[in-house]
Amino acid sequence: MKVSVYRYNPETDNEPYMQEFEIEPRQGMMLRDALLAVQDQDESFTFRHSCGEGVCGSDGVNVNGSNKLACITPMSELKEPVEVRPFPGRPVIRDLVVDMSQFYAQYKQVDPWLIRKEPMPEQEILQSPEDRDKLDGLYECIMCGCCSTSCPSFWWNPDKFLGPQALLSACRFLADSRDQAKEERLDNLEGPYKLFRCHTIMNCVESCPKNLNPTKAIGHIKAIMLKDAI
Amino acid sequence: MSRRASGLKAWFLQRASAIYLILFFLYMLLHFIADAPADHAAWQSWVAQPLVGFGLLLFFASLLLHAWVGIRDVVIDYVHPTAIRVSVLTAIGFVLIGCALWVLQVIILAHVA
Repeated sequence: MKVSVYRYNPETDNEPYMQEFEIEPRQGMMLRDALLAVQDQDESFTFRHSCGEGVCGSDGVNVNGSNKLACITPMSELKEPVEVRPFPGRPVIRDLVVDMSQFYAQYKQVDPWLIRKEPMPEQEILQSPEDRDKLDGLYECIMCGCCSTSCPSFWWNPDKFLGPQALLSACRFLADSRDQAKEERLDNLEGPYKLFRCHTIMNCVESCPKNLNPTKAIGHIKAIMLKDAI
Repeated sequence: MSRRASGLKAWFLQRASAIYLILFFLYMLLHFIADAPADHAAWQSWVAQPLVGFGLLLFFASLLLHAWVGIRDVVIDYVHPTAIRVSVLTAIGFVLIGCALWVLQVIILAHVA
């Protein structure tokens, strides 16, 4: 099976190039296994991976034009020749390894933690099962970056548009009955950039390996904003 | 008041104007299928009806607002150097205001005639 991978080592290469490898397919082989097989042939080939089961979110790559998590993408689903590139729009550090600092900076901007104004109670803050259900589809994000780096609005304005991942997280805390900073969170998202660069292109929904729906979350934030404004 | 350009307001105006545009467009379509004006005089008397004239003014106001938000979005996405962005937005603003005044003139003249 032919696998073509993106190679770039800034210390030795003037520009990036694609390199083809022939690997032995196996039953149930995932893309991560294929990349490991490539690494067996050329140990200078570099990519991030860790848990190998879609939990850590380390091995997001662009394969045949779509962002996917390598460890849960079966090779049998991919058309040959399989082309593996780093996430689009991110600075390449080496081969498939990209610099995600901007992505994390945008995440930090939404204050992704519970904010309480009342004094903290002695015990845990209770939440009804109904209120807990509101977090479903929001809290499961593993921050692999597949969504934000597939979003054209994030490509054009990565410094100003928060991107689907950070906005999904913003929605997760707006939806939390225990959070008490709704006004501040909404104020923080106002303006034409942070939230409103989303044009519901929905690449984020297409690419999310956890089947989450950031576009829906963004729509939900807009609805909360509107309700709060009038 | 924020020093930033509007986010929520622009987004809401775009949606609200879209709804009116669809409704009035459907009305116009049905009107032109059922009872198309035969000549210029018929056009004029159609526009001169108070409700139609008012509806048309709202239609063009919505259309221009809708266009402004949409074009502004495209410019914010793709035109990054400040000088070019400000010039393009200003030029488009002038064109849209010109269109608005022209529409106003046409409809007022139809009512006067």
